[in-house]
Amino acid sequence: MSLDFGLILKQMPDILSGLWVTLWMWIVATLLGAALGFLVAVGRRYGPAPLDWLLKLCVEMLRGTPFLVQLFLLYFGGPFIGLRLEPIPAGLLGLTVYAAAYFSEIFRAGFQAVPKGHVEAADMAGLSRAQILRRIILPEMTMLVLPQCVNMAIVLIKETAILSIITVPEMTMVIGAIGSQQYAFVDAMFLLAIIYWVLVEICGFLGRLAEARLSKFRFAAS
Amino acid sequence: MNKRFLMKAILGLSLALGLPLAAHAEDTLAKVKSAGVLKVGTETAFAPFDFIDETGAHAGLNVDLFDEIGKELGVKIQWVALPWDGVLPGLEAGQFDMVAGPATITKARVERYRFTVPIAEATVALLKRAGDDTIQKPEDIAGKLVGAGKATAQLKQLQDYGKTLPKPVETREYVGYNEAYADLAAGRIVAVANSLPNIAFVAQKQPDTFAVVKPAFGQPSYFGYIGTKKPEDQSLIDAVDAAILKLKKNGSMAKLQEKWFGTTFDTPDTVPTPKV
Amino acid sequence: MSWRLFDLMLWAAGYTVLLSGISIAIGLTLGLLVCAAKLSTSRLLSAPATVFISFFRGVPLLVQLLLIYNLLPQIGIMVPSVVAAILGLSLCTAAYQAENLRGGFNSVPKGLLEAADMVGLSPWQQLTRIRAPIAFRLTLPALVNEAILILKASSLISVVGVIELTRMAQNLAASTYKPLLFYSVAGGLYLVICWTLAGGGALAERLTRTHRA
Repeated sequence: MSLDFGLILKQMPDILSGLWVTLWMWIVATLLGAALGFLVAVGRRYGPAPLDWLLKLCVEMLRGTPFLVQLFLLYFGGPFIGLRLEPIPAGLLGLTVYAAAYFSEIFRAGFQAVPKGHVEAADMAGLSRAQILRRIILPEMTMLVLPQCVNMAIVLIKETAILSIITVPEMTMVIGAIGSQQYAFVDAMFLLAIIYWVLVEICGFLGRLAEARLSKFRFAAS
Repeated sequence: MNKRFLMKAILGLSLALGLPLAAHAEDTLAKVKSAGVLKVGTETAFAPFDFIDETGAHAGLNVDLFDEIGKELGVKIQWVALPWDGVLPGLEAGQFDMVAGPATITKARVERYRFTVPIAEATVALLKRAGDDTIQKPEDIAGKLVGAGKATAQLKQLQDYGKTLPKPVETREYVGYNEAYADLAAGRIVAVANSLPNIAFVAQKQPDTFAVVKPAFGQPSYFGYIGTKKPEDQSLIDAVDAAILKLKKNGSMAKLQEKWFGTTFDTPDTVPTPKV
Repeated sequence: MSWRLFDLMLWAAGYTVLLSGISIAIGLTLGLLVCAAKLSTSRLLSAPATVFISFFRGVPLLVQLLLIYNLLPQIGIMVPSVVAAILGLSLCTAAYQAENLRGGFNSVPKGLLEAADMVGLSPWQQLTRIRAPIAFRLTLPALVNEAILILKASSLISVVGVIELTRMAQNLAASTYKPLLFYSVAGGLYLVICWTLAGGGALAERLTRTHRA
């Protein structure tokens, strides 16, 4: 076999554009997914019971089916019910909703892990519900859920590879296409593996850094 | 990560496990005959050559033709279905003995692979939505978004053709042609570029949804099946060639073409010099 | 949808479960070995385990599968489609399961081991009677979770030529022009399997808990 990275590196502009699509879609979907997941977790904890059931059903359906099937339903099934999205919006929506389901579970566990005593004490001290959420629960929760959130972000960057199947011109799509054109398929897959691996390691490193920086809040939760 | 290190590690591991490393050049035809099985890699999103029919069965010209080829060689056919962009890499990796597809005979591919004699015409044309008046002739796709299969010769021809138009054509690459047709029906793209036999079949199956844009825009070209250029594989492709030519002579090929395309093709008896 | 097509979907779902099940079992075995290597005091063992875990958790399964299918034969290791699929899923889940198991072993209370030492249990007895059972119970929820993840991840193995549930839905969606129907049915079947697994996991957890009392 001839592993020839030079051939592939000649296509640098294309590869960088693919990397860019992967990165921005990942970051936007992760942030939006975390925000939406937080709302879902709050809705389930503080909303009326029927809302909790409904959201639980949605979350469990999203967690019980492969991302690829969700994406196919949205992209190829959508037009049949009047929802016709282009690949990038469809990919972004799919990834965000998928992420939100998992983030909501992380936050729900985070809520439950905040010691009841802290909340009761704040309640006694006359803080409003919103104040308790913002001043007590959120800071204490952040430390608890941060590692899982980083894990989820890592899962998501790998899921972006699946977006290539609905023609989103992200990294797997672009590098795979170059590999086919140049008959250097294995080299292309190698390159992809290495890029994703580096991205994941960087993400994990940043996560550990954030954890260390925030560890001063740890006492609050223990 | 040093790739050479990884290669060495894998190499070392496979040595340690005592796995056969040297690809011994046993004649492929002899191997296929003694195993009684010919492994053929293909893609099942290429109607009417190769597709899954309404009953969920693997069907198409490939299935019928390889049944006949199998009879000639005295072997059974074992199909391996992959997304098209994985089929040629799979052949090179040795996952199957040859590739059905079929694939357009192009200059680039002829240099790298051994083609069988042509089995059908492959000239590229456009499929549009039925009733879409904005596209009357191929030039009308200038400046618009057109779909084609990833890693296909049709995509390459579409891109080359697009460059000759006053406004360049934007292309979208699909993992399979079925998804491209679905996107055309959904209105996300204005046309799909594929070989005339393919899109004629699709338009005939769903006349309310699709229509063929005439004339074909591509250079005349042909479809063939693919093997490698490895010396040990040549006898197999020779045998498949002989089988195809025999089927052409005794009229079976024409019958199969009539069955799947509603027409017959006048294809050369040797691999022609590709124009694309 | 005709019954024949629904049968095909059911068959594909069964195949998905079979391949995922085999991969989980191999992955658990391999994960145990990797976990043992990672916990080893010898760097010669722990360093490769660290790289293994990092690589298979850091690369998308789609890319792993394509590498296994196309690279291994080039160095003389033939991997047919099904083998490549099982290998890809197994290696991937082994990396995750090794980490889960490590968490489980590390959570075994030190006091228990000290007590075991005092009553004269050998290291092997400590492992089989105390550490392994406790670690197993602690990692059971994670194992069920991992099984569900692999079941869903198996939707990607069609890239190496295996017709499983998602690919079957894709094929039938194309041939019948009913994507909404077939992808919904596929989603429904995945849900049934995943929820059954989750339910079974919860039950097993309850059973092992009463066992402790």
